[in-house]
Amino acid sequence: MDVLNVEYMLGLVPVLLGYLPLTLQLAGVGMVLALILACLFAVVRVLGIPVLNQLTIVFISFFRGTPLLVQLFLFYYGLPQLVSALTVIDGVTATIMGLTMHFSAYMAESIRAAILGVDRSQTEAALSIGMTNSQLMRRIVLPQATRVALPTLMNYFIDMIKATSLAFTLGVTELMGATQKEAAGSFLYFEAFIVAAVMYWIVVEMLSKLQHYLEIRLNKAYSR
Amino acid sequence: MKTLLIKTLSIIALLASAALHAQDAPLRVGMSGQYFPFTFVEQDELKGFEVDVMNALGEEMGREIQYQTANFSGLFGMLESGRIDTVANQITITEERQKAYIFSEPYVYDGAQVVTREGNTEVEGVEDLKGKTVAVNLGSNFEALLRELPYADEINIKTYESNLERDTALGRVDAFVMDRVSASQIIKDKPLPLELAGPTFSQITNAYPFRDTETGRALRDELNQALTSLRDNGTLASISEKWFGTDITQP
Repeated sequence: MDVLNVEYMLGLVPVLLGYLPLTLQLAGVGMVLALILACLFAVVRVLGIPVLNQLTIVFISFFRGTPLLVQLFLFYYGLPQLVSALTVIDGVTATIMGLTMHFSAYMAESIRAAILGVDRSQTEAALSIGMTNSQLMRRIVLPQATRVALPTLMNYFIDMIKATSLAFTLGVTELMGATQKEAAGSFLYFEAFIVAAVMYWIVVEMLSKLQHYLEIRLNKAYSR
Repeated sequence: MKTLLIKTLSIIALLASAALHAQDAPLRVGMSGQYFPFTFVEQDELKGFEVDVMNALGEEMGREIQYQTANFSGLFGMLESGRIDTVANQITITEERQKAYIFSEPYVYDGAQVVTREGNTEVEGVEDLKGKTVAVNLGSNFEALLRELPYADEINIKTYESNLERDTALGRVDAFVMDRVSASQIIKDKPLPLELAGPTFSQITNAYPFRDTETGRALRDELNQALTSLRDNGTLASISEKWFGTDITQP
């Protein structure tokens, strides 16, 4: 008890590794969907498209203003109570929905900031040669904004990976859920959670490396 | 000729009923997987008293059992939203739960037990909990039991999702309240400095909750029948002996 049970920890590694893919899947799918949603929100906000703009403001306000766990409970347990057919939403889907909406609200603001950071003269130049709003966004503004937004978006992705640990409350046995159950069987909490912590850490560390690589690539046009 | 016909027909009927039986939808059972020794995981394998009893019931009913683990706080939501058919997690029959759900016959009879850190002389029973911090599992029935005590106002109740026995051993809380059986088991099997404090203070009966719907009632009746068979043929008692060294399935 007093010493770390290393043998137990080593035995746990392959077991817990089996649940890592699900954790990564939840965060990966969540991130892609959240990025798409966040870009749409940011563009709507920047262009000030009537009605959509107001709806987006309410959406961001709600999903940024309430805890993720509350949102997960709403999607998973709340919705089927209103419409019983919504029981088809399984734990994985509800988790991805929650992660997507929650993080898209944050990311929309960070993308909007990046768009606003692109110098106004660029917009004026594009419009003066007859580009449409859509062309302006796709060809001029968004590529430049991406470089600025990348570090904060990676931040959210990292946060999202760790947020998947809430999924076991919806019955999704991902890395954290598997660890909790194993720890309950062995009572070796410290050992079990250390193994899980190191796994999360390694994944996040690999992402940081990816971020570094992407930053170098996106900076090519700016280095002289 | 006539008997042959009857025989043939009855064989057909038997085969048909067996086929129907095999087609029965699996029983979806929720559990936390975090309640030793009732439900827990070792090397990726779901184990425990609840699992053994449920498997035996499934065999008796001719239904496959589909286990769904989730944090305890999520289990009743899953039952409510129709994602599972019942919960096998030592669910105590209470008035409040009976308003919302229908219960099977009890399959575990037990009592609430105060547990303290080893050598704690201040708390030697439920009457010593006055002015103390006491841990209970979130959503469990033990919080309600504590609140029923005449000096409930003077007890600082702390609710936990998990790991309350650990916090008690560490001295972060003065005691925890859990069912006697699993408390004894924790003390016996696990390297935590804990001890039982005094006798149990409330009888509890645990059973399987079902939704109060037509299918829920049918499943409940079907399970009750299987439960009676297992009780009569000694299976329940032997599963209990295996895990607890004593029969907790009798009053």
